[in-house]
Amino acid sequence: MARSRFSITRLPGFGLIAVLTFVMLYLPIIILVVFSFNAGVSQSRWDGFSLQWYQAAFNNAQVRDVSLRSLWLAVTAASIATMLATLAALGTTRVGRFPGQTMIYALINQPLMVPEIVTGIALLIFVAAIKVQTGYTGMGYLVAAHTAFCIPFAYLPIRARLETLDNALEAAAADLYASPIQAFRYITLPLMVPGILAGFMLGFVISLDTVVITEFVKSAGQDTLPTYMLGQLRRTVTPEMNAIATLFLALSLIVVTAFFLITRTRGR
Amino acid sequence: MSHEIDITGLSKSFGQGAAAFQALKEIDLTITSGEFFTLLGPSGCGKTTLLRIIAGFELPSTGTVRINGRDVTSLGPSKRPVNTVFQSYALFPHMSLSENIGFGLKMLGKPKAEIRATVDEMLQLVRLEAMADRRPSEISGGQQQRVALARALAPRPRVLLLDEPLSALDLKLRKEMQSELKRLQSETGITFVFVTHDQEEALTMSDRIAVMSAGQILQLGAPQEIYNTPVNRFVADFIGDTNFLKLRVKAVDAGMAVLELPGGKAAQASLPDGMRPATGALVTAVIRPEQAEATGADEGDLHATVESATFFGTDTHLHLTLADAQGFVLRRQNRPGQPVPAPQSRLGLALAPGALRVLED
Repeated sequence: MARSRFSITRLPGFGLIAVLTFVMLYLPIIILVVFSFNAGVSQSRWDGFSLQWYQAAFNNAQVRDVSLRSLWLAVTAASIATMLATLAALGTTRVGRFPGQTMIYALINQPLMVPEIVTGIALLIFVAAIKVQTGYTGMGYLVAAHTAFCIPFAYLPIRARLETLDNALEAAAADLYASPIQAFRYITLPLMVPGILAGFMLGFVISLDTVVITEFVKSAGQDTLPTYMLGQLRRTVTPEMNAIATLFLALSLIVVTAFFLITRTRGR
Repeated sequence: MSHEIDITGLSKSFGQGAAAFQALKEIDLTITSGEFFTLLGPSGCGKTTLLRIIAGFELPSTGTVRINGRDVTSLGPSKRPVNTVFQSYALFPHMSLSENIGFGLKMLGKPKAEIRATVDEMLQLVRLEAMADRRPSEISGGQQQRVALARALAPRPRVLLLDEPLSALDLKLRKEMQSELKRLQSETGITFVFVTHDQEEALTMSDRIAVMSAGQILQLGAPQEIYNTPVNRFVADFIGDTNFLKLRVKAVDAGMAVLELPGGKAAQASLPDGMRPATGALVTAVIRPEQAEATGADEGDLHATVESATFFGTDTHLHLTLADAQGFVLRRQNRPGQPVPAPQSRLGLALAPGALRVLED
């Protein structure tokens, strides 16, 4: 193997900076996880191993309630967002160039560019106006807000996937007597699947994690797991929070790992 | 011989107004059943556009395309009895080789048993029986090329269109595939329309060649005809190597001209149809590098000085300067023990009878 003369790994301080970075990234999380198993109530003194805080979390009806709401919301919003993002990706890559194409790309990706707090306040005012007009206070607002917010995260991997597909594949299908619907069904869609799954999972994680949007849009009794935890933290912090956070972390890790495995094995 | 493809008055423009680019200009072309027909030209000459119009991927701006007598001009690619071998092969990456080859038949709604039988036959035809269940990413470039061929041949199209299919292969593999293509064409009897920018490929494989430039067909004919009697300077230059000489006309007579050669001797040269240059005019004459022979220094029709010699294995190219300083390349076949002339040595050139031709510029 040819070795380049310049290597960043041999610069002075490289090892130190690397270690510091990893410590900053992971040490707080490790401490959080460790103290979720603490037998006492302290966040700083180790009183022995115990699963009591996990038991407490599972027995807490409110925690169960907000967790289920979070999951339901994330699945619903990510599903709708993925469908819309798939259509948007097809409409922006599988057509000839049309005027305003770049504009549409920017519009779709609005949530990536507009600060979340601005979106949150805008939604608060907007949703309040509709609530006054219609009297409806259901989950529809959260679903709509999360869906809109998830679309770019679902759109980007799907579009990236479509862009790597040779346009000649669809031409070849048409040449081999496939109707446009058959070409989509047998060629384009199966090849898009890794992108669609990746888009769904990204959207799912984003929805699960969003605090600001939910905080501004939710009505009474519509707390999700993150907004519930935020509310609890304003009072006393017991290791029950650590236990919930650890479970939340585990769920995110599982989803993100699945995302990587799927894009790696099916993305060939 | 029946007409397979009839193209009349075909034009294609891209863009509009001042930015419009005319890719094809009033093409008329007839391709006969069962022939190996090649569209040859440099990149941008319109050959791929013409192929894409025959396949149905592009609509012509004007003109009609008939396949086996039926007007298909406005039909999409899925409604034409032609299949294409793409430059990038465009194999379906998520399907096995068998599924790739059977795709066209499946879309035509053929029964499963028939599809399986045809796929097996095709795998045998391209010698890939052992790899039926592999994915395209698991086989080599040459094998992918053969799968692309098998997939396009499986529905038994009337016409097979090939868009520079060998350009991604290395030289040795390309030579193999050239004979493979010829074999497949004669075994299946399907009309092949082959697009290439490689003149050697065109000469070795084709029954007929259409040489294209700037959206027009400059010359249409058998390989020998195109090589031996190019109609203009472009064709002569594009096909094979050619010496271009500026020579003065001494006399003109019934399709022949007598030209004055550098050094004072005269030679007969054929004239293109309808050209009658005035006596004393300067014309461009062409002669292929292998159509002259080296002789003793004071013999032959021309006298030349050797500038350099390039050894090519089977033959040697001698770069010469004629008496009036014009350049000349002579291709001499190598024989054992034959000395390579030293630079600055002098030799004579005997032109083969009929080798010298006058061309319109």
